[in-house]
Amino acid sequence: MSTIEAIQAPRSRYFFEALAPGGRRAFFLLGTVATCLLFAFPVFWLVLTSLRPGYAVYYVHRGSDFTLDNFREVLSQEIVLKALWNSFAIATLATVLSLGVTATSGYMLSRFRGTIPTAWFGAIYVFRCVPYVSWVLPLYFVTRAMGIFDTYWGLLLPHVAVHICFFSWIMKGFFDGIDPSMEYAAMIDGCSRWGAFLRVALPAAVPGLTALAVLCWLYTWNEFLFALILTAQNTPILTVVMAQFVHELGMEWHLMSATAVLALGPALIVTIFGQKYVIRGLKI
Amino acid sequence: MAEVILTNVRKTYGAVVAVEDLSLSIADHEFVVFVGPSGCGKSTTLRMIAGLEDTTRGTISIGSRVVNGLQPKDRDIAMVFQNYALYQHMSVYDNLAFGLRNRRVPAAQIDAAVRHAARTLSIETLLERRPRQLSGGQQQRVALGRCIVRNPKVFLFDEPLSNLDAQLRGQMRLEIKELRQRVPTTSVFVTHDQVEAMTLGDRIVVMKDGLMQQVGSPLELYRRPVNRFVASFIGSPAMNFFDVHVTAVPMGFRLSADGIDLELPQRRFAGLGAHAGRAVTIGVRPQHLRLGCTQVDQVGLSGQVMVTEQLGDEQVLAVRVGAGDIRVAGIDPELSLPTGTRINVAVPMDNLHLFDAASGVAIR
Repeated sequence: MSTIEAIQAPRSRYFFEALAPGGRRAFFLLGTVATCLLFAFPVFWLVLTSLRPGYAVYYVHRGSDFTLDNFREVLSQEIVLKALWNSFAIATLATVLSLGVTATSGYMLSRFRGTIPTAWFGAIYVFRCVPYVSWVLPLYFVTRAMGIFDTYWGLLLPHVAVHICFFSWIMKGFFDGIDPSMEYAAMIDGCSRWGAFLRVALPAAVPGLTALAVLCWLYTWNEFLFALILTAQNTPILTVVMAQFVHELGMEWHLMSATAVLALGPALIVTIFGQKYVIRGLKI
Repeated sequence: MAEVILTNVRKTYGAVVAVEDLSLSIADHEFVVFVGPSGCGKSTTLRMIAGLEDTTRGTISIGSRVVNGLQPKDRDIAMVFQNYALYQHMSVYDNLAFGLRNRRVPAAQIDAAVRHAARTLSIETLLERRPRQLSGGQQQRVALGRCIVRNPKVFLFDEPLSNLDAQLRGQMRLEIKELRQRVPTTSVFVTHDQVEAMTLGDRIVVMKDGLMQQVGSPLELYRRPVNRFVASFIGSPAMNFFDVHVTAVPMGFRLSADGIDLELPQRRFAGLGAHAGRAVTIGVRPQHLRLGCTQVDQVGLSGQVMVTEQLGDEQVLAVRVGAGDIRVAGIDPELSLPTGTRINVAVPMDNLHLFDAASGVAIR
């Protein structure tokens, strides 16, 4: 390569490389850092607020008083502890129940043709087309009429219904990606249709199922609207309890932040544990 | 004894007829190949034997037992799929053992059977691996192993070699043939590749549009195709066809078209009598055409060389005769035949195939 070519080559290739050597890398690094900050900063601010005494929350960036009292206070409230447990139980039960149904419903949509799958597909489609918010009020009346308002079932069943509708399509996609001849081979090898599903198709769909389990759990844990309308004093849910720190006497930002940080913990653990499954699962 | 008998089997999907009135008897230990273009109903037939599809009408029996209502697992068959269909989440060992475990065979017996099958197919070193860690050929061997380990009454093969590259396909073809000698079992093999059909089958069933066209040994199909479709499907390069007009002349028939003028004796081609004054199709295999002038019991054509294909051990020519092109195979590779050269080719009368131009049925 001649000297002239050596000088010209990089300039013609990339705009940022022309500004300075390594400019392209520097630009992407800055971009990445800025994006991370955009998401990390609210969390940082939340944690900071949770560590400040009540009088200092409006001046979070000034002063150096830090305290763990906020956590002590919220943890001494029975309703917060109850809400933590309820949220955990509801999220876990909703995940288990909805995945059980979603796996079979996704499998049916993927493998079977006929009136029942078509009708089921249509029902899901209609449900998805209607805005989620518009189901809340009817559900309130239905749960009251059924006598399950403000109970686990009263919140679980609507959650499971929503998850089934949203995740059946994704599950269908997972099963579409699994070669059906594997199940035929299992049927010839001595399995019934159910056996082929349980022993061959389902294990092959585990990465997808795990991804859905993580998403489903996080969604239920963070859900607010159903929890607000469909529960009351008997079944406090964390997201609703958190919002109740805003009341007619003012806003207890420090306590709300402390509760939010507590709520962040389990979600963070699930995310860290689940992220590789989510990425792998959604790739198949 | 495990003969497979299909009686008047029909399969429809709504208004579409996939298989029409198929009757066939496959003898014990016989290797039968179903061949035909895609959509001809050959795979559907195989899946009906396996029990993966119901029959619309007719009966299927395996080993003198009618299996129509039986689940695939109760038919005592094994099947190799086009894409191997190995259980991805299990090791090779577990893949092989799966069928036996489902049948509650004692563990020691399973282990012995799996190791024996692995030895037969030279996959002993792969037993601990997962299917995705294996090459295509190895996966196909595991799929074969999964069949022989159960010692079923019938082997079913659904285009098992079509996902392999040409070289490996040739090798696996030999291995399947070898396996047949070691583990003689009634087998039904489906393929769209006539070379596989010719090399593997004791008998070949040619299918088209859901209809069985011809059943016979490979040589029978090659030498005496019952219709134009079978003639064109079996053999490579494909048979040459040209349409000619028949006129009766003293002691014989004149077959003529643009650039073609053949005279055939009455005593050998008596069947042509009914076609005098009508059109027929002549079929000649490229291998049966020879360069040179016509001799006794031969007919000749002349044309112009358009393209030559050098294959090393032979040349294949495309020759323009009249308005159409014919292929001539088995030409000396050293022979130089530039484009435009006029040549004479001859074919023995025994190797002429005649078909009704309208129906395609062979004229005997």
